[in-house]
Amino acid sequence: MRAGGARLGAFVDRQLSVLFVAPAFVVLLIILVGPFGYMMWTAFTDLSFALPGHDGNFVGFANFRRLMHDSFFWDSFFLTLRFVVAAVSIEFLLGFAVALLIYHQVTRRRLVLTALLVPMMLAPVAVGLIWKLLLQGDFGMLTYYLRAAGLLGTDQAVLSDAPLVFPAIIAIDVWEWTPFVVLVLLAGLMSLPREPFEAAVMDGANRYQVFRDVTLPLLRPIVALVVLLRSIDAFKEFDKVFILTGGGPGTTTELLSIYTYRMNFKDWDLGYGAACAFMVYLVVLILCAVFHKAVFWQEGRVSAPAPEPVAVTA
Amino acid sequence: MRKHQTSTQVRYRRWGTAGGLALAMTLGASQAGAWNLEDAAAPYRGATIRTIGESLPPLEALAKLKGKFEKMTGITVEVEMYEHSEAVNKVMLDLNSRRGRYDFIIQPHRELGRFVENGHLVSIKKFMDDPKLRDPSFQPEKVLYPRLWKEISWYKGKMYGFPFTALNMFTWYRKDLLANPVEKAGFRARYGYDLGPPQTLDQYRDLAEWFTRPGKGFYGTAIQGKRHEALWYEWLNFLYAYGGDMMKTASGSECGPIIVNSPEAIAATEYYKGLMKFSPPDTLNYFWDDVMALMQQGKVFELIMWDDATYAVAVDRNVSKVVGKMGFAPTPLGPAKKRVGQVEGWTYLIPKYSRNQEAAFLFIQWMMAFDQQLEQHLNGGASARPDVYADSRVQALPYSKAAMESNEAAIAKPTIPASPQLTDILVRELSSYLAGSKSAKAALDTAAVEMHDLLGDCAPLEYPVP
Repeated sequence: MRAGGARLGAFVDRQLSVLFVAPAFVVLLIILVGPFGYMMWTAFTDLSFALPGHDGNFVGFANFRRLMHDSFFWDSFFLTLRFVVAAVSIEFLLGFAVALLIYHQVTRRRLVLTALLVPMMLAPVAVGLIWKLLLQGDFGMLTYYLRAAGLLGTDQAVLSDAPLVFPAIIAIDVWEWTPFVVLVLLAGLMSLPREPFEAAVMDGANRYQVFRDVTLPLLRPIVALVVLLRSIDAFKEFDKVFILTGGGPGTTTELLSIYTYRMNFKDWDLGYGAACAFMVYLVVLILCAVFHKAVFWQEGRVSAPAPEPVAVTA
Repeated sequence: MRKHQTSTQVRYRRWGTAGGLALAMTLGASQAGAWNLEDAAAPYRGATIRTIGESLPPLEALAKLKGKFEKMTGITVEVEMYEHSEAVNKVMLDLNSRRGRYDFIIQPHRELGRFVENGHLVSIKKFMDDPKLRDPSFQPEKVLYPRLWKEISWYKGKMYGFPFTALNMFTWYRKDLLANPVEKAGFRARYGYDLGPPQTLDQYRDLAEWFTRPGKGFYGTAIQGKRHEALWYEWLNFLYAYGGDMMKTASGSECGPIIVNSPEAIAATEYYKGLMKFSPPDTLNYFWDDVMALMQQGKVFELIMWDDATYAVAVDRNVSKVVGKMGFAPTPLGPAKKRVGQVEGWTYLIPKYSRNQEAAFLFIQWMMAFDQQLEQHLNGGASARPDVYADSRVQALPYSKAAMESNEAAIAKPTIPASPQLTDILVRELSSYLAGSKSAKAALDTAAVEMHDLLGDCAPLEYPVP
């Protein structure tokens, strides 16, 4: 009887838990899976708001075949990859250095962190507008100082000069997002246990050895997380660059997101636009998988040769 | 409403067959005398009609004028104002969702083909033919620039609305500097002819070169070189002046052979880039707002610019330092040796999904009347009515003559469904050329091939690309 009661209790618990989880699940389905499924379907149609007769007829893989041969798409794709690699590498190296500096040297961290967080708190659109004004070629403050310092010719303007624009948008992204890297890595550093460091110092390790053999391995999951988050974000970059350059001059800053925007909302070629958007999603998915694997592979390698706990053998 | 329309039409048919011409004319005249807005609007009293357009002086003027119409008719008019591309995007989404949020829309004329070919609009002919709605004193075929009306608001021989604005581009220059004796003497010594307003593109270039003084922060001209539609519009002036065009067609609603990579077009494009030397360093980041600001601040000698921006430079002392110093002239003559201008404008249209089409028509018709057109024009609009330009108050504006001459020489641009995509292709290629990524020929060849791919057989390449 008591066993039956317990079984009933467990059954009710299970049903109840399903009931409690269900609303969240339904909301997720509606706002994530639904639109994604619809986008996938659209990618296989000829839907266009602009061209007559393109009412969403099924066209198989035609959009994906077009995409394979679209040189502008691939130019944008590789430009975006270059942007991600350059921006995230600099942000990570700079962010790590600053985080270590603050961790080891700064006692009044709260003040420094508050100041550091300002760029991150701004809306990306505001960042774009601020930098547009700073770099304006006639009266921009930064333009003035760059010219005064001899770093920019009087006949040059950063956003009008094709070779300068791409490094400029990377620099602005670094300005905006390095504080985020600093914050996460600093939190990681502060949460590390003290014992391994003390043990290493007792064993005679110097500061570099401690950093390489203790700090870095312990911080690995945090590093992977921050690089992953930044890479995904940088891959989707749109607002700032769109406001600063609109993708120009020419196609020098036409990131994949801007290209996709043009297809969808300038040309209203929604079928093809959906195929482009799907590619962005696919890349982000691959990035996630690769980083996830990398973290697990490292963890697996470290934990595999570890000796059996003493308590069990005794 | 529909019931009445039918009975009226039947009545007219009877007159036509039985009464003969004289009787019909007499009755027609008595009908004309009888028509008034209050009576025509009576069935729609209490209705609310909503519209959408670009947040600029012409629409602000409409929003101020509408109160008079509301008082006379009891119809409420709601106006939504947005930035250019947002005004277009919102309409695109509304039409495709078939919600009928807007009872009439104000849109760039280049969108016309998309709307018509996708079946989103009603032809206004049915309202024009309805004596209950049509004000007999409104004769658009007589009072509008016929060509501008046909290009801005007609598609494939059918009328869909009336021009909200008939815009054009022409030369703005600093006439005060042309009167300076030191400049006159120096210019004559260097170029061998007298300093004066630019009549030809060669003179336009010389003037740009002469007045470029970077040390003083003053430039001969300023190219609208940002990757933006403004670049394409500006380039068209030079293309037309060289005798080139995008396609060989008689009207914007036609598809035809692509000539955008003709030798004339390549020469025009190279001339255009040549002006970059006489523009400020940030010129590849400018669109119309930026160059207008440069002129307002007195930092540039000459531009080819829009008439709806002229008021803020030539008249409004609150925002301009150069009031009284400006001269205006049509676009200089190029190698084609003919006067050129652009057909461009926003047009009133009535969506099929509108639930108040008749009331919307009455409002549009009322806005097209002389008094409203004059008021709107004087407040920064650009009327499509020559009689508005003839009014003494309009004539007193320093740019009216140049605007009128440009309107008369206006060249049509594509309004077919793919036309905004054609623009996008050209903007990208021209921007790449200005940025130095490719030659003018390579850029225009790429554009021509892409335009052909988009339009198909109706648009063969007149200048094949190897």
